[in-house]
Amino acid sequence: MERELLQQAEQAVELARRAGANNAIARVRDENSTEYTYRDGNIEQVQQSATRGLSIQLYVNGRYSTHQTSDLRAVSVARFIEDAVALTQHLAEDPHRIIPDSALYANRPDTDLQSDDALVRDLPREACIDWLKKMDAVTHTDDRVVSATTDVYYGWNTSARVSSNGFSGIQNGTSIGYGASVTLKEGEHGRPEDHRYVRAHHLSDLPDPEMVAREGLDRAISRLGSEKAPSGRATMVVDPEAGGRLIGAIWGALQAHSIQQNRSFLADKKDAQIASPLLTVTDDPLMVRGLASRHYDGEGISAKRRCVVDQGVLQMYYVDTYYGRKLGWEPTTGTSSNLVFAPGDKDLNGLIAEIKDGFHVTSWLGGNADTTTGDFSYGFRGFRIANGRKMGAVSEMNIAGNFLDLLQHLVAVGNDPNVYSSLQSPTLVFDNVAFSGK
Amino acid sequence: MHTLETHPFATLFGIDESVVAQALSEAMSRGAEFADLYFQHVRTTSLSLEDGIISRASTGVDQGVGIRAVIGDQVGYAFSESLEADAIYAAARTAAAIAEGTKNVPPQHLQGSEVDNYYAIDRGWDEVNITERLPLVQSAETMTRAMDPSIEKVSVGWMDRDERVLIVTSDGVFSTDRRPMATLYCSVTANKNGVRQSNGASVSRREGIDYFTEENIREVCHKAVDRTMILFEAQRPPAGEMPVVLAAGASGILLHEAIGHGLEADFNRKGTSIYATMMNEKVAPDFVTIVDDGLQENDRGALNVDDEGQATSCTTLIENGVLKSYLHDRISAKHYGVSPTGSGRRESFRHVPMPRMRSTYMLDGPHSRDEIIRAVDYGIIADTFTNGQVQIGAGDFTFYIKNGWLIEGGEITAPIKDVNIIGNGPEALKNVVMAAGDAVLDDGSWTCGKNGQGVPVSMGVPTMLVEKSMTVGGVN
Repeated sequence: MERELLQQAEQAVELARRAGANNAIARVRDENSTEYTYRDGNIEQVQQSATRGLSIQLYVNGRYSTHQTSDLRAVSVARFIEDAVALTQHLAEDPHRIIPDSALYANRPDTDLQSDDALVRDLPREACIDWLKKMDAVTHTDDRVVSATTDVYYGWNTSARVSSNGFSGIQNGTSIGYGASVTLKEGEHGRPEDHRYVRAHHLSDLPDPEMVAREGLDRAISRLGSEKAPSGRATMVVDPEAGGRLIGAIWGALQAHSIQQNRSFLADKKDAQIASPLLTVTDDPLMVRGLASRHYDGEGISAKRRCVVDQGVLQMYYVDTYYGRKLGWEPTTGTSSNLVFAPGDKDLNGLIAEIKDGFHVTSWLGGNADTTTGDFSYGFRGFRIANGRKMGAVSEMNIAGNFLDLLQHLVAVGNDPNVYSSLQSPTLVFDNVAFSGK
Repeated sequence: MHTLETHPFATLFGIDESVVAQALSEAMSRGAEFADLYFQHVRTTSLSLEDGIISRASTGVDQGVGIRAVIGDQVGYAFSESLEADAIYAAARTAAAIAEGTKNVPPQHLQGSEVDNYYAIDRGWDEVNITERLPLVQSAETMTRAMDPSIEKVSVGWMDRDERVLIVTSDGVFSTDRRPMATLYCSVTANKNGVRQSNGASVSRREGIDYFTEENIREVCHKAVDRTMILFEAQRPPAGEMPVVLAAGASGILLHEAIGHGLEADFNRKGTSIYATMMNEKVAPDFVTIVDDGLQENDRGALNVDDEGQATSCTTLIENGVLKSYLHDRISAKHYGVSPTGSGRRESFRHVPMPRMRSTYMLDGPHSRDEIIRAVDYGIIADTFTNGQVQIGAGDFTFYIKNGWLIEGGEITAPIKDVNIIGNGPEALKNVVMAAGDAVLDDGSWTCGKNGQGVPVSMGVPTMLVEKSMTVGGVN
């Protein structure tokens, strides 16, 4: 399989060169997945997917284009690439579009990232059905349950990448996840709901399915009687599962693309104190079994660990070849991998115990942020915190503010990273946050 | 009327009646009650302009067949990108395994179904040369730059899509549809005294290249510039509950999130929607009539046939304040014993269809826009939006206002920005107290996400007032 994908990528690069491209990068990706959905005692859906696609980047006389196709018949691919090269000739020249420097391909790490689990590739149908039945049984142990859906998903993918200036690489991995989504009855029409899903490369990294289903049910039960609290300023405890959304929005402003297009509130902030000293974040593509681990990035640049924020001081931007050239900066890597936070010394419950008046945010509902200014406003669900204790559920509330201000108000970091995400946010505590409710 | 043999799409996909019949027989060979095949071919061309240069062009070809086997409300699904007969049969056998018996399904003769065309265009996108698209994108940049001296950056995005589908069902019917789509996006960053603001606007419709006249392009650019410039004066509104006026057009996002999703029949069939127990109940004042319509000509949400081969329609969801219908796909229509509403949609041949919205809007109400503004002592009017979300069971929904205004003492005063609004669907409906006669559909590039599948939609409302009940995500 690996050899076949590499050959397809090599052939595509060769076809592009023959059609007149000065340089080309081809990627062939093969993905397989199976998903079982079970609802209230029956299998509801079984979906199987096997897919292969070719994408190619072309550099033609100072012009650039990208193309993708799922029609991989030899005749089709040849014609597709010829048409693509011909189309590229019509574009305007862009002096910044050059193929990544081959020196960046050097020293590619070869440590075993353990992204692949043979158990996942050989997962029998019976095992999946057994988990689904067990999870389904757990989610129906409460009379208030209207409906519960449980899922098992697993799959694997392999991708080959070849460039005309000497890059050749293969990456592969397996993925498995499962969880439960539970809806309860409350009053005449109310249907409070919640869920719990987990995913990993390795089956052995996942908690017991029944425990996951139990958490899904418990979360839904905890939503009963939710209320809107009054508006005001209070402390915000962001659950590890909710932290990723905030971090992802902030990280968008670290992209060279955002900075070059004057759309980053973190432009000109390198070496500046952008957050309280409690924030230290490392981008670690080499983490064993990490969900975003890799030996090279989307441009073929060899992976390495990088400190992004050190005690609140911004250390780097995510710079790819194109926007790096526009800015006159050396490329680092264009895309983040696993984000690892320097931990504090308490977990979620330990941190809640220290808070007099606040909210525990368990998930976001809608909302957005402006990358240019850092202004944000998000809806959320969660719980009231009073005198160190978690109180009743809250809903229909928002937070609003500006990230530059929020980050300075980070007053505690947990030791409980969300390991089921590449953004491994621990519990994050911010004080003086604007909440809107009734 | 075409037979499958003579239909040009049969040639495109390289199939004939015997392959299709065999695939359907395989899909039902384990006892499925129903099966369908969804052949799809999509060509896309995208252009992106930054710093005055079209810095990237992209093209894509995607084709394949999705095969579904249905027994009761259980679904087996598989797809194949290869359209070789053996690959199609193998996918059909995979889908068939949802059922566990055996069944011999004799091949049957296929009848073509004729439907009206709500997006006829003169030239399909596959006949348009790249050199015809480039000047349009470039002209958007030039026009935008000329509109204000404080503009630092302009980026223009273009995407056109030419989609052909052929749907064959085990009822012996085949349907075809050719669906164009074109999207122009313009975004602007301006700098005034060292302060930067960015915003954008888009138009997306089932149109051909002739739609993109200078006037239509200029309109998008103007919107992008106006929406950016006003941000320099805009403040965050105060936090809390207050009356919200929804400006005519894109404010239809409220209907989409607060009502539309909750009326998708799959959630109701499962009992997980807050609307599951409200059918035929009075949920809003008399003047509120809300439809989900696939028949708006050249609209982004228009569909000739849905992705299950059903002719689409205009479905009345709420009539004079009374909840009238859900949005159905085949499975839910059968479950409820009603006619399908032509709402079965999917992102691609890799996905199962489910009930989805098309163009969701509210009809004109009896009030005037001026009356509505005057009725608000202290509140906001929402004008442009970026995104929204809903929780089907709790009914809590949100939408994000990018641009809006404060209303004080019955008058529009200061501009506001970046506000998330959160409310509850049935509560908000009850609190719609006024609606004007200026209903309009928004033609922005809205994409609706559900269970990981995105489909194009549109939305609209007349100017309307929701009395104090929703929470405005401002700053105190």
